[in-house]
Amino acid sequence: MAELTGKRPLQSVKKFYFLDYFYILLKSVEKYSEYSAVFDSFKNLKYEHHLGESKYKKLTVEVESPTEAQQKRYEYTFKQVIEESIEYGLIKEIRNPESFSLTTDGRELLGVHERMGLTGFNLAIFKLMEDTYEAFHILVDFMYEANPKGAGLLIFPHYSPRKLGLRRQRMRTSGDFRSYSDRLVRQLQADIKHYLKRDVKLDTKKDELLDKLTSAGLLPARDNEPFDLRDYNRITKRIRDFWIGYFLKDLYKFPHPMMTFDFWTYRGKQIGVIHATEIYPFFSGKLVYPTSVVLDRTNSQDFRDVYKYNDGRRMFLHAPRGDAFQEDFVDTLLREYLSLRRVNPNYFISLVSLRETVCYSLKISWQTFGEYLDKVYRLNLLGQLRIRIALEVDKLPEETKATYLKQEPVKVHGSYRNIIAIDVTKGEENRVQAITKA
Amino acid sequence: MSRLSRKPKEVLQELQEGRYDRFNLTENPFPTVPVNKDSNDRRINGDIYEREIRDLEYTQIEDAFLKRPQSDLNRLRIGYICDTSYIGRGNGKSAFLVNLMGTVNRQFCLDISQDINKCFALYVSPEPGGRTKTFGLFVEQIFDSIVQSNILEICLASMRLDALAVVYPDIEKETRSMDEDTLIAELNSDRWFARKMIDPLKVSRKIGENDFLQSLPPEFPLFRDRTPLFEHFVTKDAFVHYFKSDLKKPKERLDFIFSHLVLFFMAAGFNGAYILVDDFERIPDFQSERQKRDFALELRSCILDGPYLNTRYGFYNILLVLHAGVPRLIEKAWNESGLENRYPISIKSSADHWVAFEKLTPRHVLMLVGKYLSEYRLPHTQQNGVAPFTEEAISVIAETNEYNAARVLRTCWDLLDQAADDPERKTIDAAFVRSKAEAPEFDETEGSHPFDKSTTTDLREKATET
Repeated sequence: MAELTGKRPLQSVKKFYFLDYFYILLKSVEKYSEYSAVFDSFKNLKYEHHLGESKYKKLTVEVESPTEAQQKRYEYTFKQVIEESIEYGLIKEIRNPESFSLTTDGRELLGVHERMGLTGFNLAIFKLMEDTYEAFHILVDFMYEANPKGAGLLIFPHYSPRKLGLRRQRMRTSGDFRSYSDRLVRQLQADIKHYLKRDVKLDTKKDELLDKLTSAGLLPARDNEPFDLRDYNRITKRIRDFWIGYFLKDLYKFPHPMMTFDFWTYRGKQIGVIHATEIYPFFSGKLVYPTSVVLDRTNSQDFRDVYKYNDGRRMFLHAPRGDAFQEDFVDTLLREYLSLRRVNPNYFISLVSLRETVCYSLKISWQTFGEYLDKVYRLNLLGQLRIRIALEVDKLPEETKATYLKQEPVKVHGSYRNIIAIDVTKGEENRVQAITKA
Repeated sequence: MSRLSRKPKEVLQELQEGRYDRFNLTENPFPTVPVNKDSNDRRINGDIYEREIRDLEYTQIEDAFLKRPQSDLNRLRIGYICDTSYIGRGNGKSAFLVNLMGTVNRQFCLDISQDINKCFALYVSPEPGGRTKTFGLFVEQIFDSIVQSNILEICLASMRLDALAVVYPDIEKETRSMDEDTLIAELNSDRWFARKMIDPLKVSRKIGENDFLQSLPPEFPLFRDRTPLFEHFVTKDAFVHYFKSDLKKPKERLDFIFSHLVLFFMAAGFNGAYILVDDFERIPDFQSERQKRDFALELRSCILDGPYLNTRYGFYNILLVLHAGVPRLIEKAWNESGLENRYPISIKSSADHWVAFEKLTPRHVLMLVGKYLSEYRLPHTQQNGVAPFTEEAISVIAETNEYNAARVLRTCWDLLDQAADDPERKTIDAAFVRSKAEAPEFDETEGSHPFDKSTTTDLREKATET
């Protein structure tokens, strides 16, 4: 994979996931100019926008003041956002005393947010990022190349000891981790064979990993020796990162670290050009796939031209609009609903799971899914749809004790929903049969 | 030679040993399907039941409901039996309910309440397909379980017996030596009346003098035998026909169940009834918000304060069995209907009407498995406890199945079945359990690999189509 010339390398991306950070920085600089005042406003807006410390949004709004360590991390992110904003010419830095001011471009971008909301804002930021890095072009092409038969789907399977039938309480010795490693390797080999149609032997890799863990002092050399129980999470994390890295680097041949890949894919997800998820029904691990293509041209009405590259090619975002697609959407919604119900005999099933399978099947972004679900739900309320949809709320994430929102609920008709049931209108049964057979 | 005297060359060999003889068991004692109270198989009809496991829950119900005098109008009329954990189906709620019904019906609560109450219990389970969407359909289910429970025959028999004591005292004396089931059957049979030369009309008139029956409408099925044109001997069929064919309007049906039948039951000597509703979530699961609210309103009206005799006497008590997620599903409807103020469903602290159905403990699992084994031991065997399982094996099974009763029992069935295949094996120990649990946990991925090419769109193909 050759990087396009004249652009900044992918790994020099600034280290944050949320594009919202650009917005809250511009908002802060709009109001204040002095460094500490801008930082304070940035922190407050960070809370207000529920921006967590990783790629997950926060569920709780903390009122207490951050610890020193947190403060440092926030400042690090703050500086990263400032650097990238300066790079794009959105703000200007003034020395002595250190302060900032908005440029015309920055002011215009705030205007975009006011007029078109976060979606329009993200798209504008996307153009700035592509001008500087062309990262999404590189990534989208890379994904199609890495798995041409699977329409660009990249899988990163992972199985915890628990998933492989091993209980944490019974993991005591080095040998226990070795036998977990054996099972894991068997499972990964089977997954690679099934999904990527490739036969690989991972035993050498496994030995390499175990040696690393031993030389790092995490696992004792002999099988019957116990490891330090406090290291359990550290060891499992090392194992997970190792295999995820193996997939990215060795199997898919991506030349940059996982971190770089993650920053770009999750940024792409917010724009809608790439989809990434860590929770997919019946699959354990993470998956990433493109929801866009880079081509000279397309005749299909379902694509939106979002960027023109110097070589004349264009980035087309898969964002269907027409009524014909609505039919496809309803069919897919129903088909995926029925297939999820097959394993979970309840009438109501998880809406976020259904969103994942529908998005994958149609290769659309969460945003497109949300728009269409909202549309067909309204038609359903008017009785103009051939299926009947009931959307309800079970336990919402904010009612749990979790701090981070790992699965965003779906907002339909103005309120959050997380479970869905679908019924078929009388006289449409034959059609259902046709859909499920197809 | 005639085929009558010819013999086959092969003689059948008697099998030396039964499949489970080695384990001192007559057969595999564990159930593999959920409780079905109508089954003849003791393993699945809830018959094999270790009461001690659910002692806490039972005692709470006994104290809050069964022992409280029905005449006390301030007592609880609605209760919830709710899972405290999200471990899913198979925690033993159905078995508990079936046994609760059995316990109440054994002496119609007279023993439990020390003769204060005479109540019967009904088991209602809404249809799994989601047909039970409205309160009307729910009432139909209540009626069906009244019919199935034999309570109508018992009431008719009891009223007729009282009447016989007055109009045919000699025959009544004769009946004292009969066993109860036969007596109930005979008192519901016109042939028996004919054989004994009893005039049913005379008995019926005597029954009609009962105070409670005075305000019943003339078309009430009990009075069917008084029509001058046809001679009907009233059986439960008259009730079924009346409810299913004559009563068409929802309001008529509610009046029948919540006013007329209440009088009928009281005339037969009962002063209350418990309606035990299993799998209640099958109702709200399929309801729209509006249906949920209407349901809650009607429930309140029929049980607590609507224009029915039931609300004045407080005859029916209703116990709803809820999964952990159900309160959330019906909370809004309960609030809007006002039920939440009287019988809050979403409470955090303990309350008499809210029976927490706890997860099993390790000791419970041992008791549960031991109970099933003891029911299928070979006669004269000395073994007890959980043999052929070791206690450690049971603890591994319990842990891997998250203390879910149904899954524990199902796993025991599997393990015993697999152990029977190995002629050398006499005990099932922890190592054997672990060796069988090697396979990855989520077998649902098998055969349903989620990202096969056929289930997705290739955007490059789509974009380049002409």
